[in-house]
Amino acid sequence: MRYRFALAFTALLLTGCDGMPRDAAGTTEGIERTHTMRVTVLPGTPDVRPALALLDSYARKHDARVTLVAIHGEHAHKALEDGEIDALIGHFAKASPWQADISLSKPVARGEPDDKHRPVLRIARRNGENALILATDRLVAESAQ
Amino acid sequence: MSLHSGIPAAIEADVRRGERLEWWTLLWIGSVVVVMALVMGASQAMKSAVIEDVLSLIPAIVFLLSVHWERKHANSRFPFGYRRANSLAFLVAATALLAVGGFLAYESVTTLLRQEHPTVGGITLFGHTIWLGWLMMAALVYSVIPPLILGRIKQPVAKRINDKVLHTDALMQKADWQTGLAAIAGITGIGLGWWWADASAALFIALSIIKDAVGALRQAVAELLDGTPRALDSNEIADDAKALIAALKARFGDGEVRLRETGRYIAAEVDCAPPAAVPTAAELMGDKAWRLASLSFRPE
Repeated sequence: MRYRFALAFTALLLTGCDGMPRDAAGTTEGIERTHTMRVTVLPGTPDVRPALALLDSYARKHDARVTLVAIHGEHAHKALEDGEIDALIGHFAKASPWQADISLSKPVARGEPDDKHRPVLRIARRNGENALILATDRLVAESAQ
Repeated sequence: MSLHSGIPAAIEADVRRGERLEWWTLLWIGSVVVVMALVMGASQAMKSAVIEDVLSLIPAIVFLLSVHWERKHANSRFPFGYRRANSLAFLVAATALLAVGGFLAYESVTTLLRQEHPTVGGITLFGHTIWLGWLMMAALVYSVIPPLILGRIKQPVAKRINDKVLHTDALMQKADWQTGLAAIAGITGIGLGWWWADASAALFIALSIIKDAVGALRQAVAELLDGTPRALDSNEIADDAKALIAALKARFGDGEVRLRETGRYIAAEVDCAPPAAVPTAAELMGDKAWRLASLSFRPE
């Protein structure tokens, strides 16, 4: 029984590892299907340009374009959690109270500040959308170099 | 060896082997905890696995403490010695096992109910950003190996020295490697976009751990309530206890025979006048003579 489980698990791993990780709610597929990446920029984000450029480069790789969606304040976080938008750009601290509800990237175009309560430019993604999260994490890391 | 103190020569070597195995357990599982904590990230499955590993050190620690106390001599404050430290350690180990199972079940059920989508992102190492899930899986593969080996080595030793703490620890090691495999399946599930796979696998393992823990707790309570000695791996009366009851009844008539367990040792009481020649432990229990710590007679 145990060996059968191990065999089945290994087979699953080998067939699945090619495209890992994937999105739990299919955000990447949605972007590819609609050719649109829905992005909201939180008010009070004057230095949004590098983050937008980064998402634009991601969208183009997936044959899509970034579309800005205007949503106010806290509704933006909820919209991201509910999958109404694909990414949210704003200033977030490393110790943000939203940390558990959304996936925050490392700071865009700069290093992590020493003060974990200091908000800096980051991209927030919907939890569980691991393909999108890894891809954008890679772009953020490249932009920091 | 005095009647109520020390470890019989017949099992001393195996007890020392058990101690060595527990020190190895502390070392290896300690290293597993460190490795897992380094790649834990924000994964709930990994957090659960780390907490489970930390809790799994409890049986090893209480085994070492109980053997230390078992070697102490009886004194005026503890005239029956400290052998029952093993019974107390067994209760603690069984409770730890139940805590691990309960914790994993709670975490899994709440994750499923909240429909939490676990996030495992990238980590940048030497200029390359890779999926953290691969590192987690590598750490989990490492976490599976020591308990798989140690648990298998401990089982025959536990049987030879009739140590329920060591046996419960072997069960804990089983829980450890099974949780590790479940967590690998869970991380793979996250990678495939199946948010529920992680918690479902953990819940399946948690229920199996709880079943083992409840069995161990029933035995521990029976031991502390002076119940007839139970088998190492179930709540059934132990075979050697059944054989001892039969041997005592055969020699001393059909009077009442009561056995109770003090740690790994058996105390027997027979309702009859003390005989002129008291049989030796070897006559009554053969190879397991060391188990019979006392035999007393209670005239009507």
